[in-house]
Amino acid sequence: MALLVSVEEAEFTYIRDKINATDGNLSVHLKKLEEHKYISVEKKFVERKPMSLYKITSEGRKAFEEYIRMLENIIKR
Amino acid sequence: MDSRQAEQELAVIKTIMEDSRKIGIDKGVHYIFWGVLVTAALIVNYIFLVMGISGPYIGMLWLVLMIGGWVVSAIIGRKENKARKVKTFAGKILSAIWIGAGVSMMMLGFIGIVTHAYNPIFVCPLIATVLGAAYFASGIVQSQNWVRNLSFGWWAGAILMFIFPGFHSLLVFAFMMVALQTVPGIILYRQWKRYESAPAQYV
Repeated sequence: MALLVSVEEAEFTYIRDKINATDGNLSVHLKKLEEHKYISVEKKFVERKPMSLYKITSEGRKAFEEYIRMLENIIKR
Repeated sequence: MDSRQAEQELAVIKTIMEDSRKIGIDKGVHYIFWGVLVTAALIVNYIFLVMGISGPYIGMLWLVLMIGGWVVSAIIGRKENKARKVKTFAGKILSAIWIGAGVSMMMLGFIGIVTHAYNPIFVCPLIATVLGAAYFASGIVQSQNWVRNLSFGWWAGAILMFIFPGFHSLLVFAFMMVALQTVPGIILYRQWKRYESAPAQYV
């Protein structure tokens, strides 16, 4: 989520490499975020290769901000 | 979650966000392409002048090369955009800077000369000034100080060409195109290649 907040959109392999995750692990996480409508995905083919582009939604951004606020409140306590 | 865990979590988020914003967006291909194209055009232009070939032919040379350049640049850009694994706001700003600079240079190089708005002998320093501004802004956007510093080279060259105008400006400008555009383009391309092979380690 932190990665998607700071970019416009990112491809699956890019996110995987950036956060050092495995394909399976990342797929599960992204699926959950998608189900909660925190992120959206666009699937396309580039030079016959499949490409999944992930984007954060406004709900996702809101949820992320709330999470940051929650973390800050814990630190302040 | 206790406050120590929260602090650690925030630190990780901060690192990921900062790292993502610093993404080396520029592949350098456009720098190399325009660097080579303009250098070639400048040298041909100089040879034309030495041989006494008149203005309209020089105008045609530039018109054909620049239109061709924009078409090829647009094709490269489209291809890059399709294959891009990540799109950032910084990337958008960067495109805007270079398209804006490109249009400004076309205005100065063609409209300014056709309308006799200024003496054509000053076209090189004027364009170098625009390039200086574009490099300054794109270096800041990319967080690459060495790219930003190239602007001082462009501006210094522009001052030199303003003070000592003449046909030799074409050769000075050609040298600047190689040193301050083509070579940096190659460096950016190499950086991008390194990043592509090890994205997780790249900051």
